[in-house]
Amino acid sequence: MRVRKMLFVMLAALVLISCGGTKQADVIKVGWFGALTGDQAVWGNNEYKTVQMLFEEMNAAGGIKVGDKTYKLEVIGYDNKGDAQEAVNVVRRLTSQDKVVAILGPNASGNAIPIAPILEAAKVPDIATVATNPKVTVLDGKVKPYNFRVCFIDPYQGAVAAGYAYDVLGARKAAVLYDVADDYSQGLREFFNQNFKAKGGQIVADESFKFGDVDFRPQLSKIKASNTDIIFMPYFFKEVALSANQARELGITQPMMGGDGWPSEQLISMGGAAVEGCYFVNHLDYEDPDVADYKARYKKKYGVDTELNGYLVHDAVLMLVEGLKIAGKVDGEALAKALEKVDFQGITGHVRIDPATHNPTGKDAAILKIINGQYVFQQKYAAK
Amino acid sequence: MDAYLEGILILSGINLIAVMGLCLLTGFAGLFSFGHAGFMAIGAYTAAIFTKMLGLPFVFGIAASAVSAAIVSWLIGMATLKLKGDYFCIATLGFGEAIRLILDNFQGLGGSRGWPGIPASSTLLNIVILDIIGVVLIANLVRSRHGRNMIAVREEELAAQVAGINTYKYKMLALVISAAYAGVAGALLGHYMTFIQPKMFSMVKSTELTIIVIFGGLGSISGSVIGAVVLTFLPELLRVVDKWRLVAYGMAVIAIMIGRPRGLMGGFELTPASFRKLFAERKAAREIKAASRLYSDDDSAQGAGR
Amino acid sequence: MAQFLQQIVNGLSIGSVYALMAVGYSLVYSIMNFSNFAHGGVIMFGAYFGFFAMTLLKLPFLAAFALSFTGTALLALLIERIAYKPLRERRAPFLYFIISAMGASIFLENIVIATIGPTFRTYPKVFSRTAIALGSIAVGRLDLIMFFVSAISLALLVLFIEKTKMGKAIQASAYNMKAAALMGVNTDQIVMIVFILGGILAGIAGVFFGMKYTVYPQIGNITTKSFVAAVFGGLGSLPGAVLGSVLLGIIETMVAGYLSSQFRDLIAFVILIAVLVFRPSGIMGKISEEKA
Repeated sequence: MRVRKMLFVMLAALVLISCGGTKQADVIKVGWFGALTGDQAVWGNNEYKTVQMLFEEMNAAGGIKVGDKTYKLEVIGYDNKGDAQEAVNVVRRLTSQDKVVAILGPNASGNAIPIAPILEAAKVPDIATVATNPKVTVLDGKVKPYNFRVCFIDPYQGAVAAGYAYDVLGARKAAVLYDVADDYSQGLREFFNQNFKAKGGQIVADESFKFGDVDFRPQLSKIKASNTDIIFMPYFFKEVALSANQARELGITQPMMGGDGWPSEQLISMGGAAVEGCYFVNHLDYEDPDVADYKARYKKKYGVDTELNGYLVHDAVLMLVEGLKIAGKVDGEALAKALEKVDFQGITGHVRIDPATHNPTGKDAAILKIINGQYVFQQKYAAK
Repeated sequence: MDAYLEGILILSGINLIAVMGLCLLTGFAGLFSFGHAGFMAIGAYTAAIFTKMLGLPFVFGIAASAVSAAIVSWLIGMATLKLKGDYFCIATLGFGEAIRLILDNFQGLGGSRGWPGIPASSTLLNIVILDIIGVVLIANLVRSRHGRNMIAVREEELAAQVAGINTYKYKMLALVISAAYAGVAGALLGHYMTFIQPKMFSMVKSTELTIIVIFGGLGSISGSVIGAVVLTFLPELLRVVDKWRLVAYGMAVIAIMIGRPRGLMGGFELTPASFRKLFAERKAAREIKAASRLYSDDDSAQGAGR
Repeated sequence: MAQFLQQIVNGLSIGSVYALMAVGYSLVYSIMNFSNFAHGGVIMFGAYFGFFAMTLLKLPFLAAFALSFTGTALLALLIERIAYKPLRERRAPFLYFIISAMGASIFLENIVIATIGPTFRTYPKVFSRTAIALGSIAVGRLDLIMFFVSAISLALLVLFIEKTKMGKAIQASAYNMKAAALMGVNTDQIVMIVFILGGILAGIAGVFFGMKYTVYPQIGNITTKSFVAAVFGGLGSLPGAVLGSVLLGIIETMVAGYLSSQFRDLIAFVILIAVLVFRPSGIMGKISEEKA
């Protein structure tokens, strides 16, 4: 009895799964995926809400004009828990059943890399938000035709951080604490170390923790004894706040520096005095009027502050709209070609895609310093 | 075929292989592992070394993945199989995390940033073929003397020992075979995803596999087969409920445990003979039910307890 | 030398965090003979209860603290009634309890994400964050307070178990549930009491973790380490759980400080296995056949 019931349910499930949505003529379907649950959920929810908000705003303004027709935009978003295997599942679903014309996200490089073959088979382009691993768009020297991104990449960010620390802050000895189980952290650490050493600096401590750890004092005590000029912390704001607090507790007074995992309103509330006077590399300057406008709209609509991912997915949406206008038709293949030609002013800087790498070119990194609980813009800084 | 459906079927097939091995370990030998994702990781990386680095055919990769996972499991088994229940459990948990930590640190294979560009050699066809081979092998094993001995170890270890069964040997056999299966599943997964990353082989993955075995029913191969397919599809079906998906999954796990503790097919196998028996039983059951209403589903088959 | 002493202090502090969780594990294990993986979820709820009591209800710290562990005691009891009791009545093997506990753990984490969201939340400031300096060694104030609170609650727990009639019944049930039942102990009641005690410990742990490490849905995951510590010390033994936790904290700290922070968990794991090979029931565990 139960066996038969189960078989029936499974059959019904197969049928349900295999019938896709119906196609509407005047709507452009765009996919989004990322982590709505799991430990990356903060960033995923922020991206998804931003996309929803922007699409609503655009539709309320009459939609967008592609070719000589006006379309409304619709987002179909799926949760992948930040899991690579689920990323593959949802991209298969978005391309084969929902028949989206393009996909926005994900934020994690490890989720953006395995979806490339599916995108190529389905001819649907993807614009990743903060996936900074070079291998997201280029593999074995060849550019992946359907993978794009709006952010700068790890080697660049690592070079900026090392350059700024050495040239501007005058650090000669650096200690690094990184998350060994996280791809972003490991990538950034590698390129920081490489560039800092190339400039003539010395890495006096290279310590790691493992994702999920909440106590960093053993590593920090070691760093304290290393007599460093600066501490580089390439990981996300929650761990940054915890480790910064613990470092100050241990009597470490050196400035700390980080990457684009840092910026969040929560870093200030969690880190407080511990992160005062610290520096980080960012994609944008928060005092920029365009940035402030989006930030205020988001806060007004959802009652919480946006995270960094929101700004980048904002520009991914702009990039998509630009691409559609250039393509002149709603077609994944044409869109992928058009995305190589986009050239527009986003809130994170001017975006121009390099056809050889599918990375945005000429986006200078912004260096921000935390002063009195505010992110104070220091300068635009390009790695030399 | 629809790419989405095909993708999930492929994943079901991959899970099925890993679950098959675990079915032997947990369902027949009564050992509980938190570290099988670690064996999958060993398989995935070994196979990728063979195919991507050395350029050998996929078959060699698969064979190598089974062998490497089996060897590692044998070493782990020597150190830990003498431990009891929870202690073995914790040892496998530590092992799974340790494998990940080594891979995270090993830059030669990409470290925690992962290893992209693995050939896309896993197809629905070769996975189905491997599934069939895997099921046939396990089915023959459990029906042999060795299988019966394993069940004896699970049911009453002390008694089995007294009866002259080398319990250590059978536990080791189950562990090594299950690790080899997990290794093959890892190899297939890597060559399906074309990308592997230590993060993919977390403790959550190990737990998911064990949940499938329990869901299918301890000591039932057909239960594990059905469980692998159903529980791979379930999260996809639950996508409609968005972020409530895992809430529902958690509730479903508890509901299965308390509602049908022997799992879907506990101690019951789906074979042509059992089908005939099932219908005969049901007819008899209906008659008894009509007579007394005392018939209870849970008393009708042997429990899987120890 | 200063670094070495500092590392000892770090190790003790990390160890006491593990201990607070491990005792809850061990207590339930001693009666039920399974590892209660939902414990981490209950701790997480404790952290949230305390946080919301202080921010939304604007309660003073001690009231929020009390509210938190009352809440977690009820939650732990509720989980027992729903997820374990039916299994107990059926005399299901320990595997089912573990899986059911995992289901509960998945449920707890995700119900929080689905309802109040995955955001990290910071506790209002209760204790000063400046450390007490002993020469060149820094001792965190929160660490000290936490150390004393856990010591007091563990002492109370031991008193309860050793000195009261109920405590004796718990000991008897831990030794042999069936025999205790035959001697007229209401074992169902014992199980409830044990879960309430475990829940209270989880609430205390939750509030302190929330203050120390901020509040977020995955905070319960640090309990994996305390599970390891409980096994290390000998599952089911309360002094073992404390000793195992402190040792694990110190081993981890020393490995990270002097050998390699990259391979910390690997080395700690090898040490753990070595201990288990020579003492298969942990440091303080009784050497006996498994009771399941």
